[in-house]
Amino acid sequence: MSNENVTTSDTGTDTDFQTDDDQSIASPTPGSEAVETGESTRTTGATHTVIESRDLDVYYGDTQALQNVSIQIPEQQVTAMIGPSGCGKSTFLRCINRMNDLIDAARVEGDLLFQGKNVYDDDVDPVALRRRIGMVFQQPNPFPKSIYDNVAYGLKLQGRTENLDEKVEHALKQAALWDEVKDQLDESGLDLSGGQQQRLCIARAIAVDPEVILMDEPASALDPVATSQIEDLIDELAEDYTVVIVTHNMQQAARISDKTAVFLTGGELVEFDDTGKIFENPDNDRVEDYITGKFG
Amino acid sequence: MATETPGRDESWYGAGEEVDRIRGAAFKWACLGATLFGISMVFVLLLYVAVDAIRPFSADAGWYLAVGLAAVVPTVALLAYYVRRDREAGWVGATATALPAFCLLVGSGVAILVIEVFPPHEWFAVVPALGAVVAVWAVHQRVRPDPVEFERFGVVALAALVAFVGVPGAVPSLEAALQSALLWLNWPTMMLYSFAGPIALATGILIARRHESRRAGAVATTLTFAAGVVSILLAPAVGVDDYLLVVVALSVAVPTALYAESVLRSGENVSGLALPVVAYVGIAVAAVVVETYGFTGPAAWLDWEFLTEPHSRFPQRAGIYPALVGSIMMMLVIVVSAFPVGVAAALYLEEYAPDNGATGRVVSIIEMNIGNLAGVPSVVYGLLGLALFIRYADMNTGSVVVGGLTVGLLILPIVIISAQEAIRAVPDSMRQASYGMGATRWQTVRNVVLPEAIPGILTGTILAFGRAIGETAPLLMIGAAAVVFNAPGAFTEQFSAMPRQIFAWSSEPSAEFRHGVLAAGVVTLLVVLLSMNAAAILIRNRYQRR
Repeated sequence: MSNENVTTSDTGTDTDFQTDDDQSIASPTPGSEAVETGESTRTTGATHTVIESRDLDVYYGDTQALQNVSIQIPEQQVTAMIGPSGCGKSTFLRCINRMNDLIDAARVEGDLLFQGKNVYDDDVDPVALRRRIGMVFQQPNPFPKSIYDNVAYGLKLQGRTENLDEKVEHALKQAALWDEVKDQLDESGLDLSGGQQQRLCIARAIAVDPEVILMDEPASALDPVATSQIEDLIDELAEDYTVVIVTHNMQQAARISDKTAVFLTGGELVEFDDTGKIFENPDNDRVEDYITGKFG
Repeated sequence: MATETPGRDESWYGAGEEVDRIRGAAFKWACLGATLFGISMVFVLLLYVAVDAIRPFSADAGWYLAVGLAAVVPTVALLAYYVRRDREAGWVGATATALPAFCLLVGSGVAILVIEVFPPHEWFAVVPALGAVVAVWAVHQRVRPDPVEFERFGVVALAALVAFVGVPGAVPSLEAALQSALLWLNWPTMMLYSFAGPIALATGILIARRHESRRAGAVATTLTFAAGVVSILLAPAVGVDDYLLVVVALSVAVPTALYAESVLRSGENVSGLALPVVAYVGIAVAAVVVETYGFTGPAAWLDWEFLTEPHSRFPQRAGIYPALVGSIMMMLVIVVSAFPVGVAAALYLEEYAPDNGATGRVVSIIEMNIGNLAGVPSVVYGLLGLALFIRYADMNTGSVVVGGLTVGLLILPIVIISAQEAIRAVPDSMRQASYGMGATRWQTVRNVVLPEAIPGILTGTILAFGRAIGETAPLLMIGAAAVVFNAPGAFTEQFSAMPRQIFAWSSEPSAEFRHGVLAAGVVTLLVVLLSMNAAAILIRNRYQRR
């Protein structure tokens, strides 16, 4: 779709490796680039920051996975993270809802603020955090339960069982799955096709009404048709939720995101800006090389 | 270039056998030889034992003719039809045929427990006491749908305490009160209400759910209860105690009827249901013919008397009953002790224990040593049981509890390892999904990991129990009796188990004991063991995902 955008960028002026905070706040010039880049028509006005990281370092044992990452993710927009394999973009995503806690060897340094509160403070319960920050994984991973029970899972965990039927229906409608499954709610979630399973996982994540949805390459295991359904869905979700999505697919990032963060090898965040700016006129030479396919 | 050597070029497709396959073929045949050797050895041994136990050559030709024509030929013909035409129906038929036989074994096991451990009046008191606890739980759920932490657990625990323990020395428990208050009821009535009643209710609820109709449920309940009444009325004709016949008849009839109903309702492979009808009617016809014409069947060592009588000095009258009861009671103790401990340990090691750091190293050393424990000779476990339970804890020598706990310790490592494997097989993506939804570790284990792992855990554990039932050496060490003439009436009494009894027969001087009675005992043990393995396979198939 936006291949032209990717290739027509002219060389950035400076070779600044480090993107500092001020730049990423200051750069959004309201609602110009985003409209050109994709179907998303949301205004990229200077909105409230939901997630902010300051000098975040992550280590797996002795290897450093993230270096000095500082970023501010705006509310109710789609923020994409792109970069080559092993650049730390998934690691950053998993830091936000502390899924890295499940890996014994992972160690996090620096600050990661959600609604102004450092999520790595001692008094933050990762379980409570994850109830406000939902997650969708690369491989569709519904539970081997019925479709209904899959969607109701999070609500039941939290004991929010009043009007369960309505909430399940609402979540399935939001995930654009209701019409396909409304007659088979009692059947196993594993009987659905791959794309339907992934939409079921999205319904499961939004059923508990989180503030942020993290998506870790949600369409990379799906065929083109299912991928485009998921992309349409993400576009709609951004009206109610803040979406952070990791993707390998640069065209996908260009199509669906408002802001794009580019990670390059070594776990550093090289550039973070409006998606249109990144794909048309990136400040950083390495980012341009990556986006035009010269590297990575 | 290939054109330079025309001779080679002609046979590029391998007609000249340049590709050497001799070694591969030799290896394949060697593997086949090893397989056939192993299987045939086991088969020959089993055949040898079975021939000794059943003595098929002692029957006369008329008996073979009657049984063959009435039962075997029609069944085999029908099976051949299924194999060639309709395999699916064949499977349905095989299940429907095996199910009653399997249920008969299980039902007999329950009946033995009723005879020896829970006589009808105790059983009768336990059921309403249990019902009262469940009722308290249900009422509490209605009255307080949002209890504070541990409130419901406390209430239910209190109810259970009142129902089963009471205040020792002052207020009797509900169960004890019921037991003494209702002694005027006779045993058949007690079994009817406390065994047939709950089963009828459960059947009714199941049917009502399946058909989404209360009427169907009510009909099923009535039918089941009526079957209980009929079995009591028929008991004098069959020659079994009436209160026992209720247990056995319902254990066989209810699962069989439920299975047949589900097949009929689905409307698929209904023709498979012909197999059990042909097989069992054939057997009944054969029995009638044999009776009318006075043919003599094989003078098997393994007969009804062998299963229901204790050991005797005379080989013709010797039986295995007390040892059979002992083995079943011992298995109960093993299940109650080894299963929860083993599964809990496996859950801790897989889900909670850290992988890294100093504690991680300790955990990995422990895991390694659980593997080693599985290889420790069973005699050593016998010594452990002797030292721990008899010398130190001062339990009765050779009692059922000591035997069960000792053999339970023996199979504990196997239970842990197989449960660990089942838990490890739960895909990590499911745990991630659950944690990502904001589930605590406990919620993840309870809602995702355990339900997924339970079939695997059960399969592995039942196979371990199969090993436990054949263990002899630990029983020798803890002083299980070689021969007992009365089945143990309580778990603290001395007992003998089947392998111990078989071992005792092997040292009898009379050849009839060493060949005939011993072989019958071995076949009995094998049947119990095989039916446990069959249960493991059934459970695995039942839960396996499409």
